[in-house]
Amino acid sequence: MNKKILIVLLLVTLPTFAADSQWTLKQSTLTYHVSHPLHESEGVSHAARGKGVCHDGQCDFLIAVAVKSFDSGDSNRDLHMVQVTRGAEFPIVTVRTRLPESTAASATINADLEIQFAGRTALYGKVHFRVETQGGETHITGTIPATLTDFKIDPPSLLTMPVKNDIPVRVDMTWRLQ
Amino acid sequence: MLRNRFGNRPGALPCVLAIWLLLHLVPSLIAQTAGMGVLTGRIVDSSGNPVANATVTVTSVDNGQARSATTGTDGSYRFDDLPLGSYRMKLEAAGFQTLEIPSAIVDGTKPLVVDEKLQAGAPTTIKPALEQQDNFPNAPSSSTAPSLSDLGLTPEQTQGNPREQALLDKRTHMLKIHQRLGLITTIPLIVTVATSLNAGGKSTGTASRDLHTALGGVTGDLYFMTAYYAIRAPRVPGTQTRGPIRFHKVMAWIHGPGMIATPILGIMAFDQKNKGEKVHGIAQAHSPVAIVTAGAFGAALLSVSVKF
Repeated sequence: MNKKILIVLLLVTLPTFAADSQWTLKQSTLTYHVSHPLHESEGVSHAARGKGVCHDGQCDFLIAVAVKSFDSGDSNRDLHMVQVTRGAEFPIVTVRTRLPESTAASATINADLEIQFAGRTALYGKVHFRVETQGGETHITGTIPATLTDFKIDPPSLLTMPVKNDIPVRVDMTWRLQ
Repeated sequence: MLRNRFGNRPGALPCVLAIWLLLHLVPSLIAQTAGMGVLTGRIVDSSGNPVANATVTVTSVDNGQARSATTGTDGSYRFDDLPLGSYRMKLEAAGFQTLEIPSAIVDGTKPLVVDEKLQAGAPTTIKPALEQQDNFPNAPSSSTAPSLSDLGLTPEQTQGNPREQALLDKRTHMLKIHQRLGLITTIPLIVTVATSLNAGGKSTGTASRDLHTALGGVTGDLYFMTAYYAIRAPRVPGTQTRGPIRFHKVMAWIHGPGMIATPILGIMAFDQKNKGEKVHGIAQAHSPVAIVTAGAFGAALLSVSVKF
């Protein structure tokens, strides 16, 4: 009889032990690259926040970063970037993705990303990331092949020459499983 | 059949097979070892007919290098020896919508095949995925997906500010005019400096002096219009000036007063020359002040145009 009660108790408590796990973004560097016929420039942000919630073997991730947090080393360019990307009206860039829990153990990830930026949503399929796990932290690097047209952004120009359409965003993030 | 073609020579068939294997496997092995891959495919229209002369452009996401290929009469294209990595693809053909594929991964293990269908029309479409598109979008589930508040972001941080956007729009609009007028001003400025060689010195003729004076007037007018759009452009509160724009502003403190002083000194020098006198006194500073002013203007222009 006691054995049966023990088994029932174990079955009841088991889902509690198999509760959802969470990923937290510990550190990040996001770098956009803009090409102009006269010079190349990059804007860097370390201000991204991110969280992943895992349930039934799937993890839903959300990463958010303020448009204004990108620093190119030139306040004039940064203000212009915020203006053309409508960063005051849409201050946050969000990236959403869903990945199987098992991918943390992989060396690479091909993630489908849903990116909201400048009041538009663009979908990027199978974006390739490299994964390195060390000491409980998972380091992810890759490049999101973003373009201005994906978000209906008019290319800013300097001396009447517009920048190129491609604005690849390099991603370097460190996640911790909790 | 093969045996008939190659006669009854024993070993002919294995020989052919060996050559076939060499021809087909060795290039792919070489490509793998050299870090190269192949991207190929076929483009058809909505009825399934091949689209000839379509341009396929692949751009490396890693280094931005681009390569293009044109489809043949059967709609097929092929890129050999592509460095391994992620590529952005663009498929363009006259009379069809341009198709953009954000990410195609050439991993070198086997040729990446991208067969696509183009729709008739004009606008660009962005295709979400390359392979296994039926799995996309793999959207986060609404029940468990974290929200912005889960990230500790407050509504003040996530809500837009249309007034600030309007301020930024006005600022950009005015600075664009400032930039264009500044470029236009450069032309009469250079010509004015160039004509100064004949306007001063031992020259006694008035024609070259008049031309120099008129050009200087045009330059001054354009300059002050240019300055107006920079001065009147709205300031964005809380912005600290950083980068080349600082140098640009420092130069403005040189060429601004210079643009006021130069014509005043120029009028004095003009009067003295017209009276048949040698330019003397403070009017002698006209030329050096003008040169410093033009130099500061050029440096200001270059500081925001070219990365040093």
